[in-house]
Amino acid sequence: MAPRAMASEQEGGVTPAGGTAIAERPADAELDHTPWVTIVWDDPVNLMSYVTHVFVTYFHYSRQKAERLMLEVHNDGKAIVSSGGREQMERDCTAMHEFGLWATLDRAE
Amino acid sequence: MKKFKRRGRLLQCRFSEYEVKLLDSLVDQLSELIRVGMPEPAAPGTPATADPFALWERDLTAEPADPEPLEDPVLQRLFPNAYPHDPEAAHDFRRFTEHDQRTRKLADADVVRDHLAATEGGRYPVQIDETATQAWLRTLTAVRLAVATRLGVTDADSLDELAQLRDDDPRSYLLSVYEWLGYCQESLLEAL
Repeated sequence: MAPRAMASEQEGGVTPAGGTAIAERPADAELDHTPWVTIVWDDPVNLMSYVTHVFVTYFHYSRQKAERLMLEVHNDGKAIVSSGGREQMERDCTAMHEFGLWATLDRAE
Repeated sequence: MKKFKRRGRLLQCRFSEYEVKLLDSLVDQLSELIRVGMPEPAAPGTPATADPFALWERDLTAEPADPEPLEDPVLQRLFPNAYPHDPEAAHDFRRFTEHDQRTRKLADADVVRDHLAATEGGRYPVQIDETATQAWLRTLTAVRLAVATRLGVTDADSLDELAQLRDDDPRSYLLSVYEWLGYCQESLLEAL
């Protein structure tokens, strides 16, 4: 990076392309690769047919998978409906809220 | 109302004048609730300007305003806490998503109200284009969530208790509205 290159020039070292600036790269520590999950919780209002419809429409899951997840929500009180990076999970969670489903985010266990 | 029926790319259903008024009023109340206390996307107090570049710059540089705590249980249900175990993340999530969420819910509600207006008080059937069905389903859901919250429906048991209400109970009318909304939504889903 720029200040370094100048310093070595002053020391008399041979630094090719000393003027080339390198874009700052995000620190690796800020890139969190821990997988996250979107969880949909059971509620007494949303119709089973609607919850299935949402999973098919938004996630493009097969009807069979969507129904299995819907029943998991209904019978167990919650289900993990998607997993991935945090940003994607925030998008999924937002979408679930748009559809009126009660969804939260968490780190994958 | 009868059930929704598919006619080509359209989903049709005849609503009575009363049903049109009822749904329109419920959706209107929902919109009003969502609009009040809507967080601003950009810093408050910025002077209005017609210059699109200035607007874009403002949107890109300004941090969204801190959202107000949601006092109304209906709003708490419509905008659930995405991070129940992390207040800071929950706060940021609301800050960056809630304005858009509210805007979309209002746009969905407008679609429904436009369709209802087009029936001229139930003289013509409600006609929903395939592209507008999501707006209808989402809005019916939001209205059902709102009515259920006002009725105190928190779990399956509370719903069972409501089913035992006497006719002279003030909640029994709202319960019949809730049931009608459920029928309407189920019928729309079946017709898809």
